[in-house]
Amino acid sequence: MTHDHDHHHPRPASAVELRARALEALLAERGLVSTDAIDAVVELYEQDVGPQNGAKVVARAWADERYRERLLTAANEAIAELGFAGAEGDNMVVVANAPAVHNVIVCTLCSCYPWPVLGLPPSWYKSSPYRARVVAEPRAVLREFGLELSDEVEVRVWDSSAEVRYLVLPLRPPETEDWSEEELAAIVTRDCMIGTAVPIAREAAIA
Amino acid sequence: MDGVHDMGGMHGFGPVVEPGGELAYHERWEPRVFAIQMLVGLEGLGAGPGGRPVREGMDPAHYLAASYYERWLYSAEQRLLRKGTIAPGEVEGAIERLDAGESVPGHQDAAMAERIVAHLRSVYPMDTPPADARFGPGQRVRVKRMHPAGHTRCPRYVRGADGVVECVRGAEGLPDRAVYGEQVAPEPVYSVAFRSLDLWGPSEETSWTVLLDLWDSYLEPA
Repeated sequence: MTHDHDHHHPRPASAVELRARALEALLAERGLVSTDAIDAVVELYEQDVGPQNGAKVVARAWADERYRERLLTAANEAIAELGFAGAEGDNMVVVANAPAVHNVIVCTLCSCYPWPVLGLPPSWYKSSPYRARVVAEPRAVLREFGLELSDEVEVRVWDSSAEVRYLVLPLRPPETEDWSEEELAAIVTRDCMIGTAVPIAREAAIA
Repeated sequence: MDGVHDMGGMHGFGPVVEPGGELAYHERWEPRVFAIQMLVGLEGLGAGPGGRPVREGMDPAHYLAASYYERWLYSAEQRLLRKGTIAPGEVEGAIERLDAGESVPGHQDAAMAERIVAHLRSVYPMDTPPADARFGPGQRVRVKRMHPAGHTRCPRYVRGADGVVECVRGAEGLPDRAVYGEQVAPEPVYSVAFRSLDLWGPSEETSWTVLLDLWDSYLEPA
């Protein structure tokens, strides 16, 4: 796969890309790391593990009050009920938005993120500005994402400093009362579960 | 370690929302380096403290200039060198060979692929919180003043600040010592809530709350 890559992109490899390929080649040549193991990890996070998983968790919590309670009290178990579990989800905690509470997650020291439910983090989540600013001026950061919160709403910023990984349970838009779980999941974007966006009902109507 | 990775509250980095920021990565080598770092750990190919303390020890200018997975590449390589799995100069040698057009065949090992996927699908929760934890919900605590040269999970911006314990999350050995291979007994990890005023002083923004998970060793009674 690495080698095919060059044929599709004739531009010269950057120094870091070349170094990455050299390290992979060195380890493969010695039989220490296998090409199919690398491919399997890449495929896992490109196909099976991503925000579509978290969206299903949120939709279930919206549709089933008892599931919601389990999710908020014992998140690992509730998430595992839907078949999702794994690395960086060892100690899941789900934090629920309310009319007067908005949650947002970050990792200022590293870029810790709940992989089993959200996949690998977007570049902005790992960026210096997000890690620096969201704990110190959360409303300004949320405004950049187009999210303007009323002064009545308490913003709670969760800095993932230990092994707990957070997922935001957003508020269900009131217009979605008779929607199926599948329709609900379709409006739950990754950013809604990080806390830099809120679900909007009309997006699903278009989809 | 009080390095540039400890970014909470730093100024000058510019906007968060930038073109391309939505993507987890931009180039094919990036997820492959992610996979290599995972395999170095699982297959026992590296030595020394885990990838995170190694990345924190990068030259600060390099850390800031490097992309996320470039840092991972750095830590994978350093850990491989420390164990002696690869020798100094070998990566450079392989770069020269690739540059000269040599093609390196892949290596297949289906069992390794199964092992890493099974590992990435497993969870290893913290221990349950001890009944005799020093602090309980509602209790005021103060984060100790400290200046550790090694790895820590206590960011600078909370040191010296008062907060309120929300709950005990569980128990785990102090990473400040555990990452260096020391056997440390599990200690309580608390969810602690801080008022923005107590962390940053007055702000133009309406006050907010910042919550961190902090080991018992970082805290004292307020």
